[in-house]
Amino acid sequence: MTIAHDFAYLRPATVPDALAMLADHRGAMVLAGGTDVVPWLRDDAITPETVVDIKDIAGFDAIDVADGVLRIGPLVTFSDLIASPVAAEHVPALVEASHTVASVGVRNRATVVGNICSAVPSCDAGPPLLVYEAAVEVAGPGGERSIPVLEWFLGPRTQALAEGELVTGITIPLPGAHGGCYAKLSRYRGEDLAQVGVAVLALPGNDYRVAFGAVGPVPFRAPAIEERLAGGGPGDADPAALDALVDEAISPIDDVRASKEYRTHMSRVMLRRSLAAAAARLDGGGPPYGEQVI
Amino acid sequence: MTDTYVGKADEANAMETLGVIGKGTPRIDGLDKLTGAAEYVDDMDFGPALLHAAVVESPYGYARIKGIDASKAEALPGVVKVVTGKDFPYTFGMYMKDRYVFAQDVVRFAGEQVAAVIARDARTAKKAASLVEVDYEVMEPLLDPMKALADDAVLIHPDLEDYEHVPWFFPKAGTNIAHWRKTRRGDLEAGFAEADVILEDEYTVPRYAHCAIEPHVVVARLDKAHRLTLWTASQSPYTQRDVFAQALAPLGLSHKDIRVVTPYVGGGFGGKAGVSMEIIGAALATVVPGRPVKVRWTREQEFTNTYQRQGVRARIRLGAKKDGTITALEHDLYWDAGAYVEYGANVVNAAGLSATGPYRVPAVKIDSLCVYTNLPPGGPYRGFGYSEFHFGLESHITRMAQELGMDPVEFRKKNAIVEGDTLAYGEAMNPSGLIEAIDKTAAAIDWGVEETSDDPTKAIGKGLCLFWKAPAMPPNASSASFLKFNEDGSMNITVSGMELGQGYLTVMAQVASEILAVPPEKIRVETPDTDRNPYEWQTVASHVTWSCGNAVAAAALEAREKIYKVVHDARGYEEGSLYLEDEKVKCDTDPDFELPLAEFVVGGIMMPDGTYRGGPIVASGKFMPEFTSALSDPETSQGGHPNVHYTVGAAGVVIEVDRDTGKIHVKKAALAADVGRAINPVLIEGQITGGLLQGLATVLYEDMRFDAQGRLLNPTFTDYKIPTSKDVPDQIIPIIIETPQPDGPFGARGVGEHTMIAAAPVIGDAVADALGVRLKEMPITAERVALAVAGMDD
Amino acid sequence: MKHTIEMNVNGEAWAVDVAPGETLLEVLREKVGVKSPKIGCERGDCGSCTVLYDGKSVRACLVLAVEAEGHEITTLEGISHDGLTVLQEKMVELSSFQCGFCAPGIVLSVHELLQERPDPSADEVKEAISGNLCRCTGYDPIVDAVLEAARIGPGDRG
Repeated sequence: MTIAHDFAYLRPATVPDALAMLADHRGAMVLAGGTDVVPWLRDDAITPETVVDIKDIAGFDAIDVADGVLRIGPLVTFSDLIASPVAAEHVPALVEASHTVASVGVRNRATVVGNICSAVPSCDAGPPLLVYEAAVEVAGPGGERSIPVLEWFLGPRTQALAEGELVTGITIPLPGAHGGCYAKLSRYRGEDLAQVGVAVLALPGNDYRVAFGAVGPVPFRAPAIEERLAGGGPGDADPAALDALVDEAISPIDDVRASKEYRTHMSRVMLRRSLAAAAARLDGGGPPYGEQVI
Repeated sequence: MTDTYVGKADEANAMETLGVIGKGTPRIDGLDKLTGAAEYVDDMDFGPALLHAAVVESPYGYARIKGIDASKAEALPGVVKVVTGKDFPYTFGMYMKDRYVFAQDVVRFAGEQVAAVIARDARTAKKAASLVEVDYEVMEPLLDPMKALADDAVLIHPDLEDYEHVPWFFPKAGTNIAHWRKTRRGDLEAGFAEADVILEDEYTVPRYAHCAIEPHVVVARLDKAHRLTLWTASQSPYTQRDVFAQALAPLGLSHKDIRVVTPYVGGGFGGKAGVSMEIIGAALATVVPGRPVKVRWTREQEFTNTYQRQGVRARIRLGAKKDGTITALEHDLYWDAGAYVEYGANVVNAAGLSATGPYRVPAVKIDSLCVYTNLPPGGPYRGFGYSEFHFGLESHITRMAQELGMDPVEFRKKNAIVEGDTLAYGEAMNPSGLIEAIDKTAAAIDWGVEETSDDPTKAIGKGLCLFWKAPAMPPNASSASFLKFNEDGSMNITVSGMELGQGYLTVMAQVASEILAVPPEKIRVETPDTDRNPYEWQTVASHVTWSCGNAVAAAALEAREKIYKVVHDARGYEEGSLYLEDEKVKCDTDPDFELPLAEFVVGGIMMPDGTYRGGPIVASGKFMPEFTSALSDPETSQGGHPNVHYTVGAAGVVIEVDRDTGKIHVKKAALAADVGRAINPVLIEGQITGGLLQGLATVLYEDMRFDAQGRLLNPTFTDYKIPTSKDVPDQIIPIIIETPQPDGPFGARGVGEHTMIAAAPVIGDAVADALGVRLKEMPITAERVALAVAGMDD
Repeated sequence: MKHTIEMNVNGEAWAVDVAPGETLLEVLREKVGVKSPKIGCERGDCGSCTVLYDGKSVRACLVLAVEAEGHEITTLEGISHDGLTVLQEKMVELSSFQCGFCAPGIVLSVHELLQERPDPSADEVKEAISGNLCRCTGYDPIVDAVLEAARIGPGDRG
């Protein structure tokens, strides 16, 4: 059914204009792709008095690399990322995750920044951005600041953005040579929200980064697992010990999508397979990016 | 209409050379649907007077309504009217009048309509509905049929004994049993005594949703001349008219005053049969005379307040001899029928008559119990009870074969029902190509050939199961058709079956085309309008190809006789010497004679003196199966003839399962169905491909999940997963078997529903074959498989 | 708080008064009179309301009409101004549809695919239409028609 809630619609052309509008209209909702915002409005899950559409802000749709940093603008959609040679070269695991987001008609609209602003525990961009050690660039009444993704997610649907602030982009320091993998547990091959998401980066010298999604209130890195893995090959760690570390790291829930038991079981399976795929990709082998390991 | 043309379909059957029958004639609705020209109810324009309604629903599964305060809603500008149960204290229902237009003093399921707001726009209606305050006294809902059967269970319908119902239902007053179908045949004790192996177990099937992509919608208008017109997304225009007329009789409305128009419908699958939410539109129209009012269900309402496929708990006890002969079957089916069973009780009934499956079983005891629960109303869903009981029965048949040390396919062939075998209710089985279907399916999946996966974490398994199903209809369910020729020799045919997507309009055109030698592209078959189109019971039960096909054949034969008579009267040829070919009348005895239909089917034939003979060729046809009867002994079901015939077949799959993740990948799926005669094989292949996928989804991932209040936890496609294009088997092999049905048009019988029936047990068998794990509860999700393999299931 | 938006729908310039809460889907159907985008779920799950937005497929139920200011919207009606596309022809010929409700969305999703990849693989076709739910066909007949249409090529009809 139709959106019953009344709100004002504003469309700034510049960041300062946008910040002024956000300052003038407390509680305003920022609109980019709208694939979350519009259904939330329909469900009365949000009832803002003002919606600020940022799609006219110049430069917000860019993906570029400068000074060893990849920058993703707030209007960059998952389709843009999938089509970007720069992204494929530098952040292939984020591109792999992008392929798993909904379907073409949604990816053409849904933005990467919007995905982490919505901050649902299952957000597909979360785990890859964590292993790529991205930062969220923010402008606000107090000026600009950069929030490491590690500190971004605060709880289900809650992130570190303060009142009046606007995300101006995501920055990722170029990771150099690496093998990456994003594995997503879904109920079938068609589009689904992740029941478990695992992102792994294998860096030269048997250095690994591991992040999980959908098995805790927020996507998170797993340092204990990374430490255990460090220095060895992907299959060197004792499987039982690794499973135990997974169990300690995650705090999955039972819901209509999956049970706690299955999420736990699959977190272990997916970590093993993602590690193997990431390590093989680092060596130039492994399954091509985009081919799911489960 | 006279009886003259009944049985004339037999004459059509005898036609030796066929033109369009058996051909993959392109659908006659192709241009409509691929250009956007096809109009569905929500696409129709009703002008600025159109009002919109929003419904206030119960958030509780079981509660007493203590009071309703609509004053805030009524005060909202743009609100025209707020109505509640007090305004419509009427019950309605198809087979049993146990459902209320709006809840009266009690709500019996979460989602039940309690009130409605009519407003000038949808936005205002939605806002106002949220302002209606309902004071509930919440009660403990009964969600499990086994609990509802307990002696001390609360009675969900204390007035059960007062409800009107059809004579073949047997409600048990003072209990929650709305209907109990008992089928008894042979000596059960002797049958089990004779058995070398007796296997007993239980199986569980949850509820499912139809998920037609078009949600239910109704626009209704009572004009100032007391004419009620409804535009509905429905499978059942005439049945709806009948139910509306009965329910609204207190308002002075009768059948002639009610008109139901059903344009194209965006999928049904049983969910748009009968009357569910449409009663709300009908009722609301009566309080705003002169104004059309629209009720369109949201996707969430589509899930929670239409019909759902009922859940069932099955207990099966099966006996067989060492040589593989089945000796006895005891099959108890406890149905979670929901809060109202006006339609769903007939699902229970159908299963109770046929729960032997397509097997020869000398001693049978079936108890099929329709149990009220505080969940949404159960109802018809493609398969109509058969999908549900086949899961347990077919799983059990395979397990029995394994107990006996027999190949499950051999065991099935040994016991497969054949023409003339006695059915559980005592009648004889119709012609059937079941054995051929089994053999061809087995060959298609290389049954007996073991396969291993290249991937060490994966295992390959195979399964092969049988299915059968008869239409479940009142004994007098009938079809009718009108046919008229146009000046150019083209035709318009009106019928009241629904084009649900199955290709019904095309098949009806093919039937008329074959008999009248007019190509299908020159025939338009029109969607129903009960004022103009003749009677059809409903488009359910996979019966319209057979039943309405017979009615169209009868009309075409009547038209042909009229054509011959005109030619005889004008030209003097013996009627018996005339025949139709290439849109012309020709004559056996005069090879030089030919008269194009276009030259006379409206204007007649001119005589030498300038006068004319003939006139517009119009015809009608009807069909009713006059051999059926629902009257039988309530304790045994013996003595009647409830079903017209069964369509049988087999399905087989080859799957690959990942032991770690539990994910099942269907590499190959084959399905053979005995359709009697394939009027349009492309459309049948379409039914097989689509139906199989729908069936596979019920076993692989679909599942309705409820909380402790009976609220559906997954009322969206976000969490009720229906298959996408990425979820199809690698290969689907449709196999058409043709053992003619003597009373069907050109020998045809129905096949629409059947294609999903065997999908669930066949996956259960294949998983057991691959992993040695037998899952007895649907769905067989990756999660359940993985946890069972890991020993983590409970 | 009405906004007058100017947008191009199927090659025609439209100026429509909309409230911020109205979706593009509602406005197309109710104020522009284009009925091929269907209302199926209103939350982006089913793809029945797919339209091309500056040539890219989007869910019209997830776009506010006010956002469409200055944009170009194409629906099923718009891609067959000059007769059926080869894809539509093949879908008719191969009976690659049943109830027809999802067909407009599917045709547009495939149209977008074929613009970018005139010779797609079966997997690419499945990916392109995976957001368009069809409950009737089992998808295989649709994929077959797309591959057949791609084999023939668009000719001069786009």
